[in-house]
Amino acid sequence: MQQERTRTRWHPIAASHDLPPRHVFHAQLWGREFAVWRADDGYVNVWENRCLHRGVRLSIGINDGRELKCQYHGWRYANRTAGCTYIPAHPADAPARTITNRTYPAVERYGLVWSCEQPEGEVPGVPGLEREAPLALRGIPVNAPAALVVTALRAHRFQPNGRIDGSDAEMVVKAADDFSVALSARADGAATLAIFFVQPVDSGRSVIRGVLDRDPGAEARNAVLRHHNAGLSVLRDNVERQAAARPAPAPIEPVYERVPAALAELPEPSAHGRKAALRVTVARKWEAADGIAGFELRPLKGLLPTFQPGAHIDVHLPNGAIRQYSIVNGPGESDRYVIGVKREADSKGGSLCLHETVREGDVLAISEPRNNFPLRRDAVKTLLVAGGIGATPLIAMAQALHHQRLVHSFHYFAQNEAQLAFGDRLDGLKDTLVPHLGLTPQETGGRLRDILSGYAEGMHVYLCGPGPMLEAARAIAGECGWPDEAVHFEYFKNTRAIDDSSAFEIALARSCLTLKVPAGRSILEVMREAGVDMPSSCEQGACGTCMATVIEGEPDHQDVYLNDAEKRAGTKIMTCVSRAKSARLVLDV
Amino acid sequence: MITLYDYELSGNCYKLRLLMSILGIEYKTAPVDFYPGREHKSEWFLKLNPLGQIPVIDDDGLVLRDAQAILIYLAAKYDPSGTWYPRGNPALLGKISQWLSFADGITATASAARLHDGLFYALDIDAARAGAHRLFRILDEHLWFGEREDRDWICSAPSPTIADIACFPYVMLSEEGGIPRQDYPAIRRWCDRVKRIKGFTVMSGVFPAGPA
Ligand SMILES: N[C@@H](CCC(=O)N[C@@H](CS)C(=O)NCC(=O)O)C(=O)O
Ligand code: FES
Repeated sequence: MQQERTRTRWHPIAASHDLPPRHVFHAQLWGREFAVWRADDGYVNVWENRCLHRGVRLSIGINDGRELKCQYHGWRYANRTAGCTYIPAHPADAPARTITNRTYPAVERYGLVWSCEQPEGEVPGVPGLEREAPLALRGIPVNAPAALVVTALRAHRFQPNGRIDGSDAEMVVKAADDFSVALSARADGAATLAIFFVQPVDSGRSVIRGVLDRDPGAEARNAVLRHHNAGLSVLRDNVERQAAARPAPAPIEPVYERVPAALAELPEPSAHGRKAALRVTVARKWEAADGIAGFELRPLKGLLPTFQPGAHIDVHLPNGAIRQYSIVNGPGESDRYVIGVKREADSKGGSLCLHETVREGDVLAISEPRNNFPLRRDAVKTLLVAGGIGATPLIAMAQALHHQRLVHSFHYFAQNEAQLAFGDRLDGLKDTLVPHLGLTPQETGGRLRDILSGYAEGMHVYLCGPGPMLEAARAIAGECGWPDEAVHFEYFKNTRAIDDSSAFEIALARSCLTLKVPAGRSILEVMREAGVDMPSSCEQGACGTCMATVIEGEPDHQDVYLNDAEKRAGTKIMTCVSRAKSARLVLDV
Repeated sequence: MITLYDYELSGNCYKLRLLMSILGIEYKTAPVDFYPGREHKSEWFLKLNPLGQIPVIDDDGLVLRDAQAILIYLAAKYDPSGTWYPRGNPALLGKISQWLSFADGITATASAARLHDGLFYALDIDAARAGAHRLFRILDEHLWFGEREDRDWICSAPSPTIADIACFPYVMLSEEGGIPRQDYPAIRRWCDRVKRIKGFTVMSGVFPAGPA
């Protein structure tokens, strides 16, 4: 069928000049609408023109250079992946990765942007346009079916560049098919080849997108553009008169994939185990600071999954170890993941392996990003407090807050200036970055007290750094009147000694299983052995990935992920390290 | 002090709120219950404007009707920069007036279609929409070539003029009258530029732009 065949054909849907920075272009092909936008890094996004939330057109949304924000309820979608990065109605949650808008391919060629619903192969080369800088004409929308427009174009006349004042050009149809006509015009030794692509917008609407084989140069360009614009406008008026005399074809009703309502409203329920779903190459490895190596990871193929500020990945190292690293990227920087790795003296083979054996060009296995440290965007003011390598998730947060112009300050504690990581990113954060260098633990305490005094309702603080500093900061925040729910923290390791001497029983309510957890084994291990799939990442009670809901029984918390109020409430448990004080725990698993 | 006889959903009243916001002019509003009250046809209002139309302003006793006329007055009197209505440039003034009457044409077509769809006015809706599309084609072509001639605005001036303010509201509200702007990419880009003018303000149905 015509419909089927044409879905695999590439068509121009916009001109390159239709996509200036920070704009969203409204395109349509075979009835299907697109929101088309260029990110600040130059990437052209062609997306289904519907917000996954309520179906509002994204073409009226805001292109902030890195993300597209829906005008209605403010859902944000990332450059490249179209994954949702933030849902204002759930400010404390990381959106599920499955909340991803449908994307279509985009290729810029001959000054036009090409796309296709089901591409088979590349955008075909067009003979005659490959030689020199071609010139894209003004697109002419026509209220008529493509076939009618193509027929009219075969008899179209224009003058070659340099001879536009005449009217006697010799016209030859060089090539034509269902959606394009190539015409050459010759007069007085001048010749111009024009290819007119006819974009089928809908069954009864088209856009003529003409390209000349040669840009006549700045002096003559506008006159040439006006010459073609005038000629094509006359053609349009004629074709529209013909079309108006015929019965109008029914508009095409494109099929939209629906996101299940539950999914669109809720954060991701559960991912799977410690899986290394992705393969990346180390595109760059550099000294991001004294003792800290930066790694830029790029996908072997396809796109990397959407991340949000605060997210981390598991890196599966060549020596078998698995380590967690926060993603340092700013919003919309979706073509790579950047991580920072500190060389630890007492590293159990993790950081040392990355520092010494992993080189540029190497392939690594990593997990999809997970976010257990999500950043709210509804705070009246956000404080970011980093110690040492703990800065990595906070650099990502600071870039997001900076880009959205949200009030924040970024306190970065380090031994000296040389240890401040990712200087290139910090340069862009100068207005809010406050380095605190070379302080003793006592001085650090005093400085934290200064920073955390003056709590007001609606403020939020995010802490990441070495254990002792986090303990101190959390205690000081409590004394300064910060409620637990306004204090967000991420430990990179759990340094508490784990007491696994207890033995108890767990009942898994949803799986209808009762299992015994003996001394020396964790809840997570026992569940996995019984075939229950439970996600995990750090497996030391720091990252929050293996969290389960407690329905009954008293947990024996040994993690550093939950805050004190959450621990007291006893409704959540980290299954990798925590145990039971009661003889039995009922879990919602 | 200026009093604006105002109806919140009127694009013609919004033209004036927009310019006064951009110029930082203080004013107060006297709400007119246009719909469903039809207060613009009431006895007291017809004394202010026998045409029975909003907007009207009263600036210390000077009563003026017609949005375009009021834009001229406000810019001429209250714009110290003199750029919104450059009184010393006859060619530009001619062009501005040309586009002010074009703006009234947009009111007669795109705004009429919106009154039909939103406030149930009885009128020839197909003619109203076709008329708006005809004007939008002209404006889009004008703005597209403007982009090539270093002209960001409707008139050839380095900064916007009241012609931009006069044309903007009913272009921006056209969807509410069933007139999509998909076929007018240069108009859509110009709308972004207008929204980024310092002091820009919104009305119901007009969304702000993000940072440039
Ligand atoms: N040319 C006038 C037109 C104003 C106009 O049409 N106003 C509408 C409301 S936005 C109105 O009052 N319509 C009622 C009527 O014409 O009877 C202007 O620009 O101010
Ligand atoms: S419709 Fe897009 S955020 Fe609600």
